[in-house]
Amino acid sequence: MRPIKIYQEDQIPSPTLRLWMLFSANPFALAGLWGVCTLLLLTLFGTYIAPFSPEAQDPRALLLPPSWDPAGTVEHFLGTDDLGRDIFSRLLHGARLTFGMSLSIVATALSMGFVIGSISGMMHGLKSSILGHLLDALLSIPSLLMAILVVAVMGPGLNNVFWAVGIALTPQFVRAIHQSVHEELQKEYVTAAKLDGANGLQIFWFVIMPNVWETVIIQTTLAISAAILDIAALGFLNLGAQAPSPEWGAMVSQGLDNLLTAPWTVTIPGVAILFSVLAINLVGDGLRSALTPIRT
Amino acid sequence: MARYLLRRLNLFLATALLMLGILFYATSLFPVEHSYALSGVRVPSLQQQAQIIEDYQLEQGELAQFIAYVQQRLGGNLGLSLTSQQPVANELASVLPASFELAIVAGLIALVLGIPLGVLASQSQHKLTQHCIMAITLTGYSIPVFWLGLLLSLWFGVRLGWLPISGQINLLYEIRPVSGFMLIDTLLSDSQYRWSAFKDVLLHLLLPAITLAVLPFTVVVRITRSAMMNVMNQTFIRAAEARGLKTSKIIVRHALPNALIPVLKHLGLMLGPFASYAIIVEMIFAWPGVGSWLISGIYQRDYTVIQGGILAVSLLIIFLNILIEVLHTVSNPLSRKELYAAN
Repeated sequence: MRPIKIYQEDQIPSPTLRLWMLFSANPFALAGLWGVCTLLLLTLFGTYIAPFSPEAQDPRALLLPPSWDPAGTVEHFLGTDDLGRDIFSRLLHGARLTFGMSLSIVATALSMGFVIGSISGMMHGLKSSILGHLLDALLSIPSLLMAILVVAVMGPGLNNVFWAVGIALTPQFVRAIHQSVHEELQKEYVTAAKLDGANGLQIFWFVIMPNVWETVIIQTTLAISAAILDIAALGFLNLGAQAPSPEWGAMVSQGLDNLLTAPWTVTIPGVAILFSVLAINLVGDGLRSALTPIRT
Repeated sequence: MARYLLRRLNLFLATALLMLGILFYATSLFPVEHSYALSGVRVPSLQQQAQIIEDYQLEQGELAQFIAYVQQRLGGNLGLSLTSQQPVANELASVLPASFELAIVAGLIALVLGIPLGVLASQSQHKLTQHCIMAITLTGYSIPVFWLGLLLSLWFGVRLGWLPISGQINLLYEIRPVSGFMLIDTLLSDSQYRWSAFKDVLLHLLLPAITLAVLPFTVVVRITRSAMMNVMNQTFIRAAEARGLKTSKIIVRHALPNALIPVLKHLGLMLGPFASYAIIVEMIFAWPGVGSWLISGIYQRDYTVIQGGILAVSLLIIFLNILIEVLHTVSNPLSRKELYAAN
C-alpha cells in the first residue's frame, strides 16, 4: 500500500525519468529495447544453450530444411547447411562474433573518439582545427576500403576486422563530439560558469558534458548498427571471418553455393543480421525522439 | 566568400595530402618488396629497377620518398597491375564510368522517389500511414545490402526470370565505348539494334540500382520528413497560409526549398557508406565497376590496384564532400551569416 499523501506537492520527474517516460511511451522503441536485451543475453549465454557445437557435422542430416517445413525435424530447429551443421547453434555461437564484437569495437572507438574529440573541442584556433580535422582524411575512406587496406597489410581474419571497422568508426565519434563540445562552448551558460571562476576541467565535465551525452548516445547507437553491418559485409566478402566461422555474414557467404537448392542457409543468417540491426536502430530512433523535446 | 572558398580548398588539399600519407605508409607495410608494391613490375630488368629507384627516390630519406610518391601518383603514374601488367590508370579509367552510371542512377532513384514520399509522410496526419512509412524506412536502413541483393536476384532474376542478374549488357550486343556510360554509348552507336541494346542495358541496370538505392532512399525520406515538419511549423508558412495560398503552392514554393538544405547536408555524410554499399552491390551483380575491380584486386593481392582504387575513390569522396559543403553554404544564407561572424 502506498503511503498517504499529506502534502499537496507535485512530483517533478528528473530528466532521466522523463527521458524514460517518453521513451517507453513509444511501443516500437520498447520492442527494440527488448530485442537488444535478448541479443545481449544471447551474446553472453548463447553458447551454453546451443544444442550442438558450431562445427559439429551430421552426415545424416545434410541441407535439412527448417522445422516448419514438412521435411524438417525439430532436432535441427532452423535446418542444417551442406555439411550437416545445425544453423540454430551456429547462429547462437555467431551472436558473440557479430553482435558482441560490434559492441567491443564501438566501445574502443568511442573511448578513443571521446578523448580526442573533447580535447580538440575544448581547445581554440589552429591546434583544435588540426586535431579535429586530423582524422577527416580517415573519414573519407569508406569503411570497406579501409578494411581492404587493412587486409592487404595484415591478411584476412577476424582480428583485422576489429582494426578496420574501429579505424573507420573513430573519426565519426571525434567529429560528433568535437562539434557538439565546440557548439556548447559558445553558449552563454558556459560564460556564466567561467565568470563564477570554474577552471577548464570543471567547465568541461560539469558544465558542458551533461549536454553532450545525448550526442554521444545517439552516435553510439548509430555506430553499433554500422559496425554490425560492416562486420557482416566483410564476413560475406571473405575478408573478415574465415570459412568455418559462424559469423553471420560469413554464414551467408558459405550458404551461397546452395542458394538455389537450400535458400534457408542464406535467408536465416540474413534475418538474424536484419533483426539485430533493426532492434538497435529502433532503440536509437526512440532515444532520439525522446531526447528532442528536452533539447528544444 | 572568396576567403571561404580558399579555406575549403585548403582543407581539400590538406585532407588529400594526409590521405596520400596514409596510403604511402600502408604501402610500406605491404608484405612484399617495397619497389614491387610501388611499381608493380614483377621481374624488373636492371634498367627498370634503376628507373623505379629514380622515380620513387628509394635511396633518399622518407620525406623525399613521400614527395616522389605524391608526384608520381598525382602525375597519373599508378604503376602496373600485378596480375594483368597493364597500367593501373588505364584500368581505372575503364571501370570508373560503370560505377558512376550505377551510382548516379541509384542516387536519382533515391532522390526522385524519396523527396516526394518524405513530403507526403510529413503532411499525413494519419497515425497508421506515418507508422508504416517509418517502419519501412527503418527496415530499409537496417537491411544488410548483400543479403538484399541476393534475395532480389534470387526472386526477380531466378524464380520469376524477369530481370538479368549479372553484368552490364548482354554480350551479344557489340557496343563501342565512347563515353564509357553504357546508357549513352548504346544510343550513340550506329548499329540497327541500338534500341534493343538500350532496353537491355536498362534491364541490367534495374536490379543493382534498386538494391543500391535502398539506403539513400530511406535516409532521404527520413530527413525530408523531419525537415518538412520543422519548416511547416515556422511563422513564414503561417504567413503564407494567411495570405490564402494553396497548400500545394506553399509546399513547393515556400517549404520544400528550405527543407532540402538539411537533405543536401546529409547527402555529404552519406557518401562513405554509399561507396561501401556500391562496392558490395557491384560485387554481387558482377557489375564491371571500380568496386568489383577492387575486390578482385584484394583477392589476388594486387597491391598497385588496391592503392590506385583506394586513392581514386577517396579523393573523389573528399572532393564531393567539400563540394556539397560549399553548395550547402551557398544555398543556405543562415550558415553564410555564421561564416562571416566567424571570420
